[in-house]
Parts: sequence; structure tokens; C-alpha cells
Amino acid sequence: MDLELDRQSRDRVTMLAALGRDTLRPLGLEADRLGRPIPADHEFFASLVELGQGRTRWRPGHGSGGRESGQEAGRTGGTLAMICAVEEMSYWDRGVAVAFPGPGMGEAAIMGMGTEDQKQRFLGPFVEPDRPRWGSFAMTEPGAGSDTSAISTSCRRDGDDWILNGAKMFIGNASRADWIMVWATVDRKQGRGGHRAFVVEKGTPGLGNFKIEKKMGLKAYESTSFTLEDCCVPAANLLGGEQYYQSREGTRGALRTFNAMRPMVAAMAVGMGRAAQDEALIFARDNGLLDRTRVRDRFERIDRRLAAARLLAWKAAWLADKQLPNITEASMAKALAPAVALEAASLGMELLGETGARGDHLVEKLFRDAKAMDIVEGTGQVQRVIIARQLVDLPRS
Amino acid sequence: MIDFSTAPELELLRDTAARFASDHLRGNAREHESVRGVTDAAARAWRDTGLKLLEFPGENGGAGLGALARVLVNEELGAADPGATLALDSSATGLYVSAIHPAQRVVVVCDLESRLTVAGGRLSGSLPWVPADEPAVVAVLSREGAAVAGAPKVLEILRGSGLRAAGASAVNLDGVEVLSQWSDRAAAATALARVRLYTASLLLGVMREACEYSRAYAVDRVVFGRPVAHHQGMAFMIADMAMAVEACRLLLHEAAWKLDRGDSDAAAVCARALVEACEQSMFVTPSALQLLGGHGFMQDHPVEKFMREARTLSLMAGGVDAARDDGGAALVDAARVEVARTGGS
Repeated sequence: MDLELDRQSRDRVTMLAALGRDTLRPLGLEADRLGRPIPADHEFFASLVELGQGRTRWRPGHGSGGRESGQEAGRTGGTLAMICAVEEMSYWDRGVAVAFPGPGMGEAAIMGMGTEDQKQRFLGPFVEPDRPRWGSFAMTEPGAGSDTSAISTSCRRDGDDWILNGAKMFIGNASRADWIMVWATVDRKQGRGGHRAFVVEKGTPGLGNFKIEKKMGLKAYESTSFTLEDCCVPAANLLGGEQYYQSREGTRGALRTFNAMRPMVAAMAVGMGRAAQDEALIFARDNGLLDRTRVRDRFERIDRRLAAARLLAWKAAWLADKQLPNITEASMAKALAPAVALEAASLGMELLGETGARGDHLVEKLFRDAKAMDIVEGTGQVQRVIIARQLVDLPRS
Repeated sequence: MIDFSTAPELELLRDTAARFASDHLRGNAREHESVRGVTDAAARAWRDTGLKLLEFPGENGGAGLGALARVLVNEELGAADPGATLALDSSATGLYVSAIHPAQRVVVVCDLESRLTVAGGRLSGSLPWVPADEPAVVAVLSREGAAVAGAPKVLEILRGSGLRAAGASAVNLDGVEVLSQWSDRAAAATALARVRLYTASLLLGVMREACEYSRAYAVDRVVFGRPVAHHQGMAFMIADMAMAVEACRLLLHEAAWKLDRGDSDAAAVCARALVEACEQSMFVTPSALQLLGGHGFMQDHPVEKFMREARTLSLMAGGVDAARDDGGAALVDAARVEVARTGGS
């Protein structure tokens, strides 16, 4: 047993802390004040690319699966290394962290399911990007959120193409992305068995009506809705090719991605919760509140619950890196961490009192930001359903 | 490098404890409660496991193992019968204060509010409950140090709320001779951290058992046409119970790991783990009873015992509020100096 980060992860966290203090937090506060996402042509994104950010973990030309770079995602430290990084970035500003250029959530799906040609075409530009580039991942629809089996965006084969019709919603970085990984269904009755993933490239005819949503918090990145109207996608952009789905692997593609993501989202929530805790502690210290037992006890609880949430996220990530089943642990982390983050921010608001009501304090922003974490990647309730399926075989319907 | 795996030698210890618990404690729990102690066969088997001297230094015939080993073993023992564990293992608990009486029934009292006094080589004061019928030795751990004293006067043999297998009595310590004594605030803090971990890991075991027993019942028992566990209100409760156990286990393992490394924040982290164990045990064990409904209230099932054991265990080790004080003080004291404002793990 060892709970100490390796040197590489510690160094990365230190680097991200400096970046966070100098840039992420000020940018996040500015976006919150202006009420709009950071523009894609903001110099911050270009500077990130110069710093080596926004790249893919995939490396071309090394065997059938491609190779992950050891620094970013070695076979033994990939998910853990990532969650330590996202926790730190989220500590400074989770909204800005999501706005970072890069292939995003679609990367894992392409690496896991994509053909060699698809990896080259869609991840190749992210190996050494010439400019900030984004990939986007589109599952959620107006009528299907956590219940991904209910998506209704349709796809039908038409010669060498596929025709997509439907609407997607709350999709991160969609309007600025080089490509969007769109999940559609050949037949809704088949549930996830009917799902197909398409890499829809920017400018594809029929892809449009981008609308950036107005949100309660996390304003630094765009959450976008868009439509697909007889959107004609080449068969070569069907992720994994036809054969992949015929071998029934298709249903597991999205789930595998989500499994890896839940500890990640939990770690983000831990970072936000810790930020709220620290800001509340500073306020309490500066206003002579630390000597009050009632205040101290509540900080103790937040600190303890955050520690538990972080350990749960770490364990789920460690299991993922060991390629061991982590369904229960991932859902536990995801169920716990967002609730604690909100509790931390809410305690901060209480301590701030009317200062919190002004609407211009970081704690107030974190209070609005944190709520989203209990919704994205499956609500807290969905996580409990998943855990209960594992524990008591809770029926699906 | 973060690694949640357990070393093979610790796995072996845990398996030994689990086997002993299964063979000698779990099935006899009601009998041990009624006789206020353990059967001779269980006591003999316990001696044979070699677990009794887990933390004793090698030169004293012990295994010289650390806090993590203790936590792993206690989860197994606590799951089967925490009262019987105290009856069997009380001298090892005493080790945390002093290793001078490995063979005697020692009761450890965490006196964090100066209820007892030591003057002229004698103790004074009384205790309304100790988990033994006739303790041979009382080890009093305070913030300043420890005093090991001889047998107190038993005022009354008590029924006890929980942990009945350990026995229970009210004792008077007036004039009881102090056999040995030491003063060292840092050592006392470490000793207290060990007692807290000891108690918290027994609580973890109780919670785990309560979870598993009630889960199995809720899967079998059909109400309103389907298993109790398949009603979403119950399913969510079961999920939350399992989550509480896992979170508690991780905090405990972290605390033990830090204590074994000698980290400067280990004592505060051990206090934190005890608070978590106490709080969650008062969610998990009553919920387990709730899942069984009326059956849970009856002594035909062990869940009412889980609830009593958890409530009593969480009164020990100086109490949860003292642990909350210590964990909270460490946090706000650090904040008084500086809030780091960085992630860093």
C-alpha cells in the first residue's frame, strides 16, 4: 500500500498549480463576470499549445493499437496521473480546465474502438498541433441525459455514407471543435445495442444550428446544442467500422469511456470542493470565525469527506489502471465527491453571510459551479442505480 | 506511486483473522454475549493464531507489525464479534499504552477530560463502565501520558448496552496503586491515535457485517411483489451503506499507513478516521436493522446487536467529540498560519 504520488505526478501538479494561480482562476472569474465562454481565439489557448498542452496521448506507428506516451498515460499510471492533474486544474477553475484544447472525451473512444486510419485522421492532428484544436463528444440530447440508452439521433446507411438526424445538447466545446463524436442509433428499440459513434467533421453539411447555452456556472467553456439535419457522414467516419458493431462490441464502447470518466469527474469535484474549503477557511480566519466550535466542526466534516472522496476516486482510477473492474468504486466516487463539493461551497456561503449574497466572491461562483458535478457523467442517483445493480442485482426496468 | 494493494504477508494475517472469526466467533456470538466472555475453545484457538501479540516488538515475542496490520485484522474480528474481540485481545490493546502486562486482562481508558487523577503513586476517581467484569489492570491514557494501575474495585457488574461478550462493570479507582507511569505528550498522542484506529477498525468490521447481512436479507425477502432490495428507496440506501463502508475503510487504511510511516499529521488523520467510523456506523447499523423491519428488532437476527455494538464502540477511545476536536484543531491551526491554496496531494 502506498498513497504517495510519484514524483512525475507531483511535479505536474506543481506546474499546474502555478498555471492555475496565474491564469486559470483569473480567466475563470473573468468568464463568469462576462457570462460567456473564453473565445476560441483567446491567446491563452495558443499559449497552452506552446506549453505542450492540448495533445493526444496517442502516438502513431507503434503496433496495431498505437502507443500512449509514457509521460501522459503509461499503462500503470494513466488514469491516476490524469485524475491528479484534473483535480488540480479544477481546484483553480474547472470551467477553464474543460475549455482546454485537445481531443477531449472522444480520444479514449477513438483509441479503444477506432481503426488505424481513424486514429491517424482524427488524433493525428493532435500529436503536435499547429494551433489550438478541440475534439468534442456528443451523447446528451434534449430527451436523453444520464439515460444514454434513450438517445434518438438516428443514423441510416446510404451507399458509402450514413445519414444522421437529430439534436444534441449540453455538448462541451462543440462549436469550436475540428470534429464531434456523435452517438446515434440505428434502432432505438435496441437500446445501447443500436448505438453507433460517428466522427462528424466541422463543416459537414447538415451539421449546424449551434447555440451556446446560458448556464448557472462553469461559464468558461461552451456547452452547446446543435442539430443534425440529413447530415451526410462518410462510412469511413463510423468509429471502428461496421465490423466492430457486428461483433457486439459497440454497446460497450460508450460505457467503457464513462467508466474511465467517473473517477475523473469525482476528482474534479474534489478539486472544486477543496478550493471552496480553502477560500472559506481564509474568510473564516480573516474574520475571526475559526475559534467557533460550530464552525470548526463543520470544516472538519468537509475536510474528512473530501479526503474520503479523493481516496475513492484514486482507488477507482488505480483499479482502472490495473485493468480491474471498477464499476462500483467509480460510481461511489462519482456519487460522493460532488455532494461534498457542494457542501463545502455551501458552508463557505454561510460563513460569508451577506458577503456571499453579493455575487462577486469566488466561493459564490464555486457554489454555482459545483452543482453541475452531481449531474454530468450520470447523476448521483444514476450512480446509486449502478451501485445497486452490482450489489443487489437491481433490475433495469 | 499510489498502490491500494495489500502486501502478501498482510493478506495472510487478514485471512488468518477471518478464518478464526468464522470458526470461533461469528457462530458463537449470542453465547459469548450470554456468558460475558468467550468459550475456552475460542480462547485456545485465539492463542494459536499468534495474532494476540501482533504489535508487540519482536524481542518480546511479538510479530512487530504496524497499524495497518492491526486495522486489517480488526476489521475481520469486529465483523464477527467486537465484544469477544475485546475479551480476547484486551492485553494487545494495552500494548498501545505499555507492553508490561501481556498476559493480563487490561482495560484501556482514554481519559481526555481529566476524570481521573494520579497523586502519590495512587489513582483516584471512578468509571461508570469499563468493558470487563473484573479487569486486572487499568491503563489510563491522558493527553500528557499514561499510568498503568492494578485491579480497581468493582462497584457493580453491569448488563452493558453493547459489547456484552467483553463483560461490563462500574469501577472505583480510589487508592489503586500505579504500577508504572510515563509523561510524554507526543507519545501520548501517538498512543491515542493507535487506540482510535483500534476502535475504528472494529467499527468498520461491524459496519461491513451489518451491510452484508442486511443486503442478503433484502435480496431474499419479498415485499409488495419483489425483493426488498429491488425497491429503489431501499436499493439507494443499500448503495449508500456500501459507500459509507468503503469510504471509511479507505480513510482508516490511509490513517494506518501514515501512522506506520510516522507522518507528522498521522495523529490528526487517525482522529479523522475515528470520527468517520463513528458517524457512519450510526448510519449503517440502524439502516441495516431498518432493512429487516420487525425482524431486525428481534434477537433472532444479529442486526440489533450490530447497532448496539456500534453505538458502544463509538463511545470508546475518548469519544467522537474529542476526535472531532483533534481533527478540526489540526485543520484550523494550519489555516491560521497559511492556507496553502494549492492542490498538492
